This record gives sequence, C-alpha cells and structure tokens, in this order.
Amino acid sequence: MYRKEYLEKKSMFDGLIVENVIDGNVAESKLNEIIEKFDAIEDNKELKNILESKKQDFFKNGVFIKAPAGKKYETPFELNYDKNYDNNELNDNNLIVAEANSELNLVVDYKNNDKEVVHKGLNRILVKENAVINFIKVQRLNDKSQNYDANLSIVENSGKINWISIELGAKETTASNFNLLESERSQADIKTIYFGDGERKLDLNYTVQHFGRHSKSDIESRGVLKDKAQKVFRGNLHFKKEAKEADGSEKEHVLLMDKTVESDSIPALFTEEDNVQGEHAVSAGQIDENSLFYLMSRGFTEVEAKKLLVEAAFNPIFDQIPLNDLKGSVMNEVKRKLG
Amino acid sequence: MSENQVDLNEIDRSIHDTKNDSDYSNRAKIGLTPKIIREISEEKNEPEWMTNFRLKALDIYQNKPIPDWGADISDLDMDEILTYIKGEGEIQNDWEEVPEDIKNTFDSLGIPEAEKESLAGVGAQYDSEVVYQNLKEDLVEQGVIFMDMERALKEHEDIVKEHFMQLVPPNDHKFAALHGAVWSGGSFVYVPKNVEVDIPLQSYFRLNAAGAGQFEHTLIILEEGSKAHFIEGCSAPKYSVNNLHAGTVELFVKEGAELRYSTIENWSKNMYNLNTKRAIVEKDGLIEWVSGSFGSKVSMLYPMSILNGKGARAEYTGITFAAEDQYLDTGAKVVHAAPHTSSNINARSIAKGGGHAFYRGLLKVTDSADHSKSTVSCESLMLDNESKSDTVPVMDLNTDDIDIGHEAKVGRISEEAIFYLMSRGISEEEAKAMIVRGFVEPIAKELPLEYAVELNNLINMELEGSIG
Repeated sequence: MYRKEYLEKKSMFDGLIVENVIDGNVAESKLNEIIEKFDAIEDNKELKNILESKKQDFFKNGVFIKAPAGKKYETPFELNYDKNYDNNELNDNNLIVAEANSELNLVVDYKNNDKEVVHKGLNRILVKENAVINFIKVQRLNDKSQNYDANLSIVENSGKINWISIELGAKETTASNFNLLESERSQADIKTIYFGDGERKLDLNYTVQHFGRHSKSDIESRGVLKDKAQKVFRGNLHFKKEAKEADGSEKEHVLLMDKTVESDSIPALFTEEDNVQGEHAVSAGQIDENSLFYLMSRGFTEVEAKKLLVEAAFNPIFDQIPLNDLKGSVMNEVKRKLG
Repeated sequence: MSENQVDLNEIDRSIHDTKNDSDYSNRAKIGLTPKIIREISEEKNEPEWMTNFRLKALDIYQNKPIPDWGADISDLDMDEILTYIKGEGEIQNDWEEVPEDIKNTFDSLGIPEAEKESLAGVGAQYDSEVVYQNLKEDLVEQGVIFMDMERALKEHEDIVKEHFMQLVPPNDHKFAALHGAVWSGGSFVYVPKNVEVDIPLQSYFRLNAAGAGQFEHTLIILEEGSKAHFIEGCSAPKYSVNNLHAGTVELFVKEGAELRYSTIENWSKNMYNLNTKRAIVEKDGLIEWVSGSFGSKVSMLYPMSILNGKGARAEYTGITFAAEDQYLDTGAKVVHAAPHTSSNINARSIAKGGGHAFYRGLLKVTDSADHSKSTVSCESLMLDNESKSDTVPVMDLNTDDIDIGHEAKVGRISEEAIFYLMSRGISEEEAKAMIVRGFVEPIAKELPLEYAVELNNLINMELEGSIG
C-alpha cells in the first residue's frame, strides 16, 4: 500500500512505524489509541456531520504511520494507493500519529488512468505535544471520477498541523477538512487551491474548532472557476468557550472566468468566548483589470497575461510542495487547464 | 442618574409572560378555522378577493412545517395567539395594570404621555390623525397617500390588490402564510411620480386596530423619481400579552425612486419577532435599510432587497444588541438580478450577558447581473464570555463580471483602549460605554435626531447593568 521506495529510503525513515490497516484494524492493538481519540469526540456535532455520510461504507484498508517522539523526518513520506483499486473504487483509511516533538511530511497524490474511479478517503491525524505534521494532498483524478474524502486532525499542546490541499481533478469532489485544536497553542494552517473547469463540481468544507487557549488557525483558499464549474466553499471557525486569546482567520479568493460558473461561499464564525480574534474575508470577481492591462501593454496576449496572473496567485502555495517532480507536474497541469 | 440606573437595572420583563395566566387558563383552546377567518374578514367588511386570499393563506399555513433552522420557537403557544386573533382575548385595558418598570422605561426615554398608553397596548388609542394633520394637508396636495392599511383596502382597492403580498407571497414560509390569513392594520404609503416627501413618515397608524401590532401589513409604493423616508416603530419597549409578531413589509421602489426604511425595534423581552421585509427596486432606484434590533426574546429578521432594474442600489445598515435571554438572528439579503446593480451591507452586533447575536445574510448574484458590485461587512463585539456571536453570510454567485467583497470580524473591547481612556480620567464603565457608542456610531448617524438620541439612551440602559 505504501510506496516501495519507502523501503529503499528506509534509512531516511529510521524509527518510523508504518503498518497496513486491514479491515479497520492495525496489527498492534496498542496503536489503536488514535481511533479511540477520534471516537471520543464523535458526538462533536460538526464532526458527526462529516462522518455520518461516510462511515458506514467506509473502506477498511489503509496505512498506519507513527512518528516516534523527538524524531524529525525531512524527507517527505509518500503515500501511494495504486494497489487499493477494487472494482473501480479507491479506498483509503489512514491513521497518522506524530508523537511529542516529532516532525513528519506526508505527500499523497491521487491520480488514475482513463478508468472511472470513485475515491473515498479518510485521514485521521493526531498531532501530539509540540509535533508538526505537514500533509500535502494533490487530487487529480480524471474527469469521469468522483472524489469523496475527509481529513481530520486533533492537535495537542503546541502541536501544528499544516494542510496543503490541491483539488484539480474529478467530476465531483466533496472534501471535508476538520481540525480540533484541543489544547494550548495548538495550530492549524490550511492552504487550499482548487481549479474548476468543464463541468466540475466542488464541495469544499473546512472547519477549525478552537478549544485551546492561544490556539491559532489560518484558512486560505484560492481558486479559479471557468466554463460550467460549480463550487461551494464552507469555512467554519468555532471559538469555544475558554479558548482565550485564540486567533483564527479564513480567507477565500475566487477568480471567476466565465459567465456560466457558479460560486457559493459560506464563511462562518461561531463565537462563545469574547477574548478571541476572529475574522473572515471573501473576495470574488474577475482578474484585476489594471494588472491585465499592464501585462498586455508589455506585449503579452490576453491569454498569456491571464495565465501569468493565475500562476502568480497559485505559486506561493505550490512552492510548499516538497517534491520537485510533483510540483512541476502540478504546475504544468494548471497551465494546461488555463489553455 | 443613579436612581434612574437602579430602576433600569432591575427591569425584568419576563413577568409579563405569566402575569395574566389565570385569566386565560380556563379558556378553551381553539385553532384557526376557515370560519374564524371568514368572521374576521366580514367584521372588517373586506372585499371578497381578500377573504379568499386569507382562506388560501390559511390553507398554506396549516400545511407548512415550522422552520427547522435558526431560533428555537417551540415555546411559542400558537393556540393562545390564535385565540387573540379571533378577538376573544381581552387586551389589557388599564394603564394602572402596566408594570412599573415599563412605565419607568418610557419616562427615561422621554416618551410623551399620550404615546405611553398606546405603546403599552392599553387605554385610548392614540389619535395619529392629529399628529399628521398639518403634514397631511401638504402631502395630499401632492397626491401622497398615507393611511392605515385597512382603510387603504377600501379607498384604494386597485392599488392594494395589485401589490398585496406579491413580494412576500403566503407560501414563502409558515409565518408569511399566517400573516396572509390574519393580517390586521399597518401602513399604506403611495408617493406619486417625482414627489419628494421631505418629512419622515412614521408608522403610528399601526396602533389603530386591535392586534395590529402583531400582524400589521406595511405596503409602500414609490412611483418613478419620488423620494420618501419611512420610520417603523420606535425605541420604546412595546408591551403586549400576545407574544408573536409576524408582520410583513412590502416596498416597491420604481425607476429612479429612493426609499429609506428605518426601524428601531425594542419589543418587550417575551416577544417572538418573526417579521418579513422585502423590497423590489427598479432601474436606478435606491432602497436604504436602517435597522436596529434591541428587544424581543427571539428575532428572525432578514430584510431583503431585490435589485430588479439596471443600476438599482441597496444599502443596509444594521445594529443588533443581544442581551440576557435574547437570541437575535438578523441579517440582510440582497438579490442582484440586473446589470450594474450595487449593494452595500454594514452590519454590527453586540452580545452581552448571555445574549446570542447571529448575523445570517445572503448575497445572490444571478446570471443577468453583470457588472454588479457588492461589499458586505460584519463586525461583532462581545462584552463578556457568557454570550455568543455567530456570523454566517452566504454568497451565491452565478456570473463572472462582478466585484464582490466580504469581511467579518469578531472580538471584544480592546484592553488598551480602555486603559488609555482610564488613564485620561474616565471611569472604566464610561470608557466601555464610549467604545460601544463609537461602535454603533455608523448606525446612529443614519437615524433621525430623536431616534439617535433614543438609541444612545437605550445603549446606556443596556450597558448600565453589565459594566462597572
């Protein structure tokens, strides 16, 4: 289930525990701690909404990864699911634990050939004290496929989860991202890029719940919609009582490139504590005319100028993809889509 | 001042909920039937189409479910409210029976003696004709019609028939259907072409009919190029044993016309305020909403502007102040349905003492609304951590050549600001009050002077309990 190269690079992942999840169980039962942790918060209303639709038919197989305390892995660990196809279904159920003071980069690239595929995924991540997980998710399934996934994290004291989520493919995508900032100074940073073209439908849902004091979150979404693409963006920031000095922000910027697109944005703030800072901002519209005009006055055609400006908006996020091959291939894909 | 403060702090409007329990506990509960509707309509001597309209609305009401989102309205005793509609419930008629605290509030707000009784829903009806005598002569000459809705139905039946519940049809939601079935009283305003009404029109007419404060219908029609300012309600707490308000406001703003619609609402804190307000704006027209929500137990109020003609504009300036035991769910809805339309929404809310302030808004841009612009700005101030403040703006965009911006912020009064003011010799209480007044300043300055003063008094009253 995980990439063979992992074995070759084994020296770089010294101490990292990687186990296959089979029928929802991990070989060593003591590793089930993370499942218990998520089960414990299952009555959480927002989480329930995410899981309810998925859990019953949720797939059994995936990977369990655990970074031991104090270990920092620089080389990104690639998850590969090419073998998880089963009757045109791609299912993965991953459990990831970062023990105290550890650091791990994870990269997953969902892609397929010409066949129609339904992808259902569930990532559950537990970030312990002062640990860092960087999770980079690229989804570029073909235009016939469907993509449903849920990405959940619980972050403890001073831990940090960084999501980079790039949605380029699939006919229909429903992506949920839920983060529970459990204790003091926990952080979640979510950067997302989507590209809607053709008749693509995107339903993107990002939630951060601030429980811990001084917890911090940042959601930033950039997207392009063209042709008959449809997108719903939901960003939910919850400040629970006693999350004092918590700081959360969400921003969405969407470029609308055709009259026929449909763009819905629902950025919500829910506040039960007065001593917090929360803000959200949404902007939507066309490419800035002044920038376009400037570039065209410098000899670029309109199409080239538009391409440049979209790339300029996306590149700061692409730059955070730690694998050069993947980064280059994603950038090319966006270029191609911009026509 | 200090004596005043003590009185105000002890306001407990909840006593109104139970005060008259024994009076109607032995009255048989009845539901609303077509027979009762026919009787209401007959009593009012209405034309047949209105009777049929009411019956149709009743049918819709009985078949529609209660909305399952937003506020919890399960406490609402529909049977009891319906008893009153039929006129079987006696409205309290004795000024002496009005609780002291309500009287004191009137005094502190400086409400004239004559208005107090009618605001409290007791005693002689306030003769609005007198107030508008001089105004009326002036307006009548220009062809302006301003009267209560029931009279308008008789004297201007054609205009009413053409517009009545066309913007807010009874099948909009359950309470719109209820309104359609049992509406009573309200204001009717018609401003002819190119006439500018320079004095604000105020809705005292509502007080003329029994139950009118609960299900009043406001219909305003501005012909091409005309201008008017309408003020609904006033800032005094309105007291009624009947605790549902399901009014409807329909505003028709024709080409180039400009209408400002101001509301300051301070229902007593047993009230469920489920009002529906909607405006349709034609080419180059302007609707301006100025909205202050202070009272009621539960409010669900979302004034909607439909920008139907090229260049139509909408502005919304709103302040919501949710205190103890209040759930105020308010916001603005704008539909951009024509090219070059613009909207500007500025909403502020304050939550204190366990109150729950909720901004729920909608911005919809249809595919025919190219070159539309909209800015939405929401700010929430939390005065303590007992309270809740939520913001859910929905944006639904269906075309590309538009410019949309939205911002929202939530937070509390900054300690630095208080510290600074205190270092200048201002007490902590006063410093906080100053900051809150500064926060609502953009709203206050949109109001006519006397209302701005009352808004200020209201804020002082509300703050005196919680701070210092």
